[in-house]
Amino acid sequence: MSEVRIVAESRTEFGKGAARRIRRDKKVPAVLYGHGTEPRHISLPGHELMLALKTANVLLTLDINGSDELALPRDVQRDPIRGYLEHVDLVVVTRGEKVTVDIPIHVTGEPAPDTLVNLDLTALSVEAEATHIPTGIDVSVDGLGGGDQVHAKDVTLPSGVTLVTDPDALVVAISAAPTAEQLEAELAEAEAEVGIVHEVSDEEQAAQAAAGDEAAAGSAEGSDAGEKAES
Amino acid sequence: MLIPRRVKHRKQHHPGRTGAAKGGTAIAFGDFGIQAVEPAYVTNRQIESARIAMTRHIKRGGKVWINIYPDRPLTKKPAETRMGSGKGSPEWWVANVKPGRVMFELSGVSEPIAREAMRRAMHKLPMKCRFVRREEVS
Repeated sequence: MSEVRIVAESRTEFGKGAARRIRRDKKVPAVLYGHGTEPRHISLPGHELMLALKTANVLLTLDINGSDELALPRDVQRDPIRGYLEHVDLVVVTRGEKVTVDIPIHVTGEPAPDTLVNLDLTALSVEAEATHIPTGIDVSVDGLGGGDQVHAKDVTLPSGVTLVTDPDALVVAISAAPTAEQLEAELAEAEAEVGIVHEVSDEEQAAQAAAGDEAAAGSAEGSDAGEKAES
Repeated sequence: MLIPRRVKHRKQHHPGRTGAAKGGTAIAFGDFGIQAVEPAYVTNRQIESARIAMTRHIKRGGKVWINIYPDRPLTKKPAETRMGSGKGSPEWWVANVKPGRVMFELSGVSEPIAREAMRRAMHKLPMKCRFVRREEVS
């Protein structure tokens, strides 16, 4: 579990004008709340925060006017097109406190051949100590066949972590892949509906021409033999 | 092809094309996606062509999700017709896509295969798009 130290500044002016001025200065407006305290409006350095948030559930040590606060990101708003950070909600935590967080699931291993892995849950909600939050949970699908399922209760969690998600929730389902014939029939039907016509490639044309020549030669030989037999 | 089974009004005004997508801007189901960078009307034929292009490339290895639905009818007046005499007849079904919208998702394949499959699908779409990956961070 990584811990990142960031120097924060208190904000005194609010609204979209002030927020845009903060963003123009390469900073990100944020709010810090939790533990029954009054919400505190702060601004954080944009680049450092962006690097810190590359780790899921990163623990931030905020230096606000000389006093340290531990915080976890609760909600991160990004621009949907450019991807820059618009605003961050941070929740105050204390050392040793248990928090509920979503941990991303990583699928490992190779399932049986001709199967598809369907990841139904991309993150598991777990309760863990704020200073020891796992970065990810590995779910192995090694050797699983079509029809096999992995539920939340089957996932091995690191020590000190308890499951909050419904234990019967489906995490991974393995299904049989469609056969080549099924896929080709489905695509051919869809292409016919849309009106897609495949152009014959030069190689296919050459192969067809060669096949046609062979057939013509074969029929010519057959007719010669027939004429001879008649005579 | 995707077509609404039943609609309340056969002809509608043209959908607005300003602004960015309000939702559906992140990958929800798969591992990779195609995100719109410009606004456009995407017809049901374009959606189906993109899906076929993607599925042909990934063959039997993955799963494709379509996150947009062509629920808006566009009308067209016949050629060489004088103006007036009412609105034309419905000609296309389109999805009104705005920048930021993740239109297609893909899972079950490696990133190079997904990139190539989605590059082929992007050629069937009427706007600039980009390849996006699932973000695991908060």
